[in-house]
Amino acid sequence: MRAHELTAAILAPPLAPIGHGDRQLVRHNLTNAIPAMVENLPLGDQVVVTLAMLRQVARDPAALSRPEEPFAWKPAFVRRSLGLSAMDACINHRFSSPTEAVGPIADQAVSEWSRTGWRTFHWEPWIAALHPAARSAVMAEAATWATTLWSSIDWHRFDSPLGLGGPDDQWVCTAARTVRLKGRSELQVPLEATHGGGAESTALVSVAAGIPRTGWETELGFLALVASLRSPSRPVPSRVVGLWPDAGQYRSVDITSGVLTAAGDRVIACIGAVVDARMSMVV
Amino acid sequence: MLVMDIDRREEKGGAARRETAESKSRVMGSWTPLAGDALLDRLRVTGRPRPLADPDRAARLRETIERGLAQGTVANQGGRRDQSPSPTPLVITKDRLTRALSPGVHHDAIGFGVQPPTTPMACGALIDVLFRQLVTIGSIGDPMSDGLAALALDDRQAHLIAWIDSLSGTERGTLAAEVDRQSIALVNRWPTLDPAWLPRTQLPIRVDVAAGAVELSGRVDLAIGRPGLNVASVAIVEVKSGTRRPEHRKDLHFYALIETLRSPAPPFVVATYYTRTGELDIDPVSDELLAAAARRTVAGARALGQVAEGAAPSRLPDQQCGKSAVLPGCRPGRQRVTADIGGYRR
Repeated sequence: MRAHELTAAILAPPLAPIGHGDRQLVRHNLTNAIPAMVENLPLGDQVVVTLAMLRQVARDPAALSRPEEPFAWKPAFVRRSLGLSAMDACINHRFSSPTEAVGPIADQAVSEWSRTGWRTFHWEPWIAALHPAARSAVMAEAATWATTLWSSIDWHRFDSPLGLGGPDDQWVCTAARTVRLKGRSELQVPLEATHGGGAESTALVSVAAGIPRTGWETELGFLALVASLRSPSRPVPSRVVGLWPDAGQYRSVDITSGVLTAAGDRVIACIGAVVDARMSMVV
Repeated sequence: MLVMDIDRREEKGGAARRETAESKSRVMGSWTPLAGDALLDRLRVTGRPRPLADPDRAARLRETIERGLAQGTVANQGGRRDQSPSPTPLVITKDRLTRALSPGVHHDAIGFGVQPPTTPMACGALIDVLFRQLVTIGSIGDPMSDGLAALALDDRQAHLIAWIDSLSGTERGTLAAEVDRQSIALVNRWPTLDPAWLPRTQLPIRVDVAAGAVELSGRVDLAIGRPGLNVASVAIVEVKSGTRRPEHRKDLHFYALIETLRSPAPPFVVATYYTRTGELDIDPVSDELLAAAARRTVAGARALGQVAEGAAPSRLPDQQCGKSAVLPGCRPGRQRVTADIGGYRR
């Protein structure tokens, strides 16, 4: 994978935006199907659908029936957040490479947390309490993750300011049990409008471990779907590019009504699998 | 990029510089390990032209592997792709490949099970995390404390940490002394890497072949240099705390193969750095090396496929015995391991 090829794929002229009617239809399908699927779940239960869960249902559905491990911080959980902050600092010319940036950025984040108490439930308190060697292992993980992404893209080709990380897109379906869709992308890239009206257009970039597997198209489409549901007044992202640095591969999908519909169907199937697994555990 | 610039500048004088570096390291006829810039030069200047990016090279290698797999049962192993909604590929790592191709007693090559810990294994795991720390922050404090603190973050090492905790004072002292000795040598010899060379530690690399039926997977201790350029610019380094073994070179060739299949250009060099002695084994990457690695991968994948299908493995003890999950119940295997540990202690 060459940086200029991936960058060109991200920045390619977008297709015509999806019409309001198509968008509404996908939302309608979801709001029609989901409530009936989850109504028998125990009171207070909720279903959170993420890209990771879509992939798990496709590749390891048996995992849904296994008890969830209690959450504990690990270097792999910090690398994205710390790595993106390091990359942001590089884009803004504060550092020349992520390796240089991660240490000062982590220190700065920890002291900011100590000073303000913000992000108490994020990684800052965790790494503040770590042995210095363990902290360096977290930094190494973030540096490697960020360096790989940093060297995969030709950053000079982006004219407009990028979004790096940021809050997840979220949409909650009105139902007897909470169903929440969460979409997370690493980059949000403004695209040059080539269609009438000069509508705002965006490409999302999603980074994943491993190798792209069958179904990647609807998985990437899921990120556009959640963005579309979250904010009906904003245009649907024109494109989602998936990057699998371990494999040196990328895939790009232009978001059409067909892709959104397929992503919606995949969400419904995923919720069905989750509900079945949970109900089997209840019985 | 900087790596390339430096090399372009130094290419003409490369051989002379290498000779100087090596002659500097031979003091009064006795061999002294390379250190600092001399070590870096040895890694950077291989004396061979660096391979160019060539899409046909990766295509040829892929074809070699896939043709070889198609002749065995492996292409179906990962298998049952047609019937299963969640196909599981046959994952090939360097360790599985070596075990599959070794005439070992146990031949538990198809498993990823937890291996019974040994002192060399503990030393290796600690040196791995200390090396990563050194590359990332440039220093190591108390080696045992640092190493254990870093290992504790990795769930997969819980078994090893519990084993280290269970050691007697003397055994733990022996381990700590070796870790200290190797760490001090590492700090003294390992060169500082310019961040512009994009050092990546514990870098996962993987590719799928045969339509996803087989996955070649690795985790590189250190990769340096910008990938995706027209000329090979990436160096891959593995760190070993034990003694030199022939399969270490083959491990690196396997990594070179994966990197070639996943990137526009192969790495220009693969190297093993032995922290116990300071030896640096380097292999400039060539088409011949990659072709041999592809053939070995096919042979290993086919052997794995046969074992998975229930074929009886060959049964001779070898250096892989120490990693076998069934070692406690295997007398010849234990004898071999005892002999190996004796050699390590000497």
